Amino acid sequence: MHKSSSQRLPPLKRNWWLKHRFFKLYMLREATVLPLVFFTLCLLAGMVALLQGADSWQGWIAFMGSPIVLLLNLLALAASLFHAATFFVLFPRVMPLRIAGHSLPDKAIVAGQWAGVVAVALLFFWLLGRA
Amino acid sequence: MMEKLAINEHGPQHKQAFDEPLWWSLFSAGGVCFAVILPAVILFIAICLPLGLLPAGALSYERASNLLFSVPGFLFVGAVVCLPLFHAAHRLRHGLFDISVGNDILNKKLMYGAAALLSVLALGLVVAGMLR
Amino acid sequence: MSTEQITTKSVSTNNTSIKHISVKRYLPDSSAEAYWQQYEMPVDDSTSLLDALNHIKEQLDSTLSYRWSCRMAICGSCGVMVNGIPKLGCKTFLRDYEGEIRIEPLSHFPVQRDLVVDMEIFLEHLAAVKPYLIDDNPVKPYDPKAPETYQQTPEQLARYKQFANCINCGLCYSACPQFGLNPEFLGPAALTLAHRYNLDSRDHGKKQRMTELNRHEGVWSCTFVGFCSQVCPKHVDPAAAVNQGKVEAAKHTLIALFKG
Repeated sequence: MHKSSSQRLPPLKRNWWLKHRFFKLYMLREATVLPLVFFTLCLLAGMVALLQGADSWQGWIAFMGSPIVLLLNLLALAASLFHAATFFVLFPRVMPLRIAGHSLPDKAIVAGQWAGVVAVALLFFWLLGRA
Repeated sequence: MMEKLAINEHGPQHKQAFDEPLWWSLFSAGGVCFAVILPAVILFIAICLPLGLLPAGALSYERASNLLFSVPGFLFVGAVVCLPLFHAAHRLRHGLFDISVGNDILNKKLMYGAAALLSVLALGLVVAGMLR
Repeated sequence: MSTEQITTKSVSTNNTSIKHISVKRYLPDSSAEAYWQQYEMPVDDSTSLLDALNHIKEQLDSTLSYRWSCRMAICGSCGVMVNGIPKLGCKTFLRDYEGEIRIEPLSHFPVQRDLVVDMEIFLEHLAAVKPYLIDDNPVKPYDPKAPETYQQTPEQLARYKQFANCINCGLCYSACPQFGLNPEFLGPAALTLAHRYNLDSRDHGKKQRMTELNRHEGVWSCTFVGFCSQVCPKHVDPAAAVNQGKVEAAKHTLIALFKG
């Protein structure tokens, strides 16, 4: 194919997403990974501490309890739930599921995924909620 | 044979993005883990544990070691650390492009490279703990 | 009782009022700079934005340029930005707008004059994905001894029908920041049409289209912002089609990998 001869505009300015509520929500969705990265790094530090011994492990738990870390991880929890809310509705649009020739309603797929969130939380409760 | 010729006919502007399906698959799998598993993980490990809301001994040094340094622990780290890291790397890479920071070829290497490095570290820690 | 209701209703649908519309003018013959011009006109509940533009052109200012044809959301030529959101003029009613109404040419396209934009790049991207039936073994000219036609079951039609409703109005391109950031991105409508033909049971051109889709400027530039599907006047859901295209491109790559 020959090179196109049509006119090109310069690319958007970097603040394009500030002009609409829709785009701001998109950027918020993309930004949910920032607190996620923070939590992941905390978790990695915890794994290192666990490998080092009992004292380091207790030290890590104390670190996780410091107000700023706790606040950032609360933010990570909120981010994971906001991410879930935005991600689950995309799934049936990217991979429409068909069972016996009938397409599954979007609402059922979204509800199924939320049921997954609850199931994982129950699993954790079963594992860690009892002494 | 014919198909190969057809693909090669296209110039450099028809360069196939053979790596993108890999990044996108990791991004999608990580997105599912982030949405389905991470809320519970963050709630129990980063909030309930430091606040002392878990029963005594639920994540004592002994119990935590036994849980993490095991085959299920290895899978747990894969789903809770590695895949979400690739999810984050993908969104950060595209986010940087969205706000015109850096160039995409370099950002790609930095983001996916960091995710791969941290993933190897995380899985390596579990293996090291199992071999202790 | 029913008569009364009808009367009340007919009164309320004819609410006449005076509205102000600001139009972004660009007349390259007289000025290199675009400027805003305000028009005042009487409107009622049935006045569409296209009616308003026609009123301006016929009654107030014959120098205004804009595209239009069918008045019924099928030709796809009257797309403009209304308060920053891409809309079809004929499908937008002034009764839905309180206060300021700002009309601009479609975003992300070079402006030629007033509300008329150059859509050449969109047409190039459309042509690149070969949006037509490609058949290795086409239906032969009519032979009474062996009549042969394309056949398709309702189920096969249902697979792509939603994606076939595109009218090429270009609103999704104006809604897509990825196209705004990189005009080489094939964009929502072209990728959707590629997917529409890939899903068609009569088509055999998928392999040719996949080499276009599986490029960085193909499906992989999309970040599922999703605004394209919000503004689509025909509810095509291009964002879904593009992302289903990612699944197809991933399959295509896997197959290519194993075949070598």
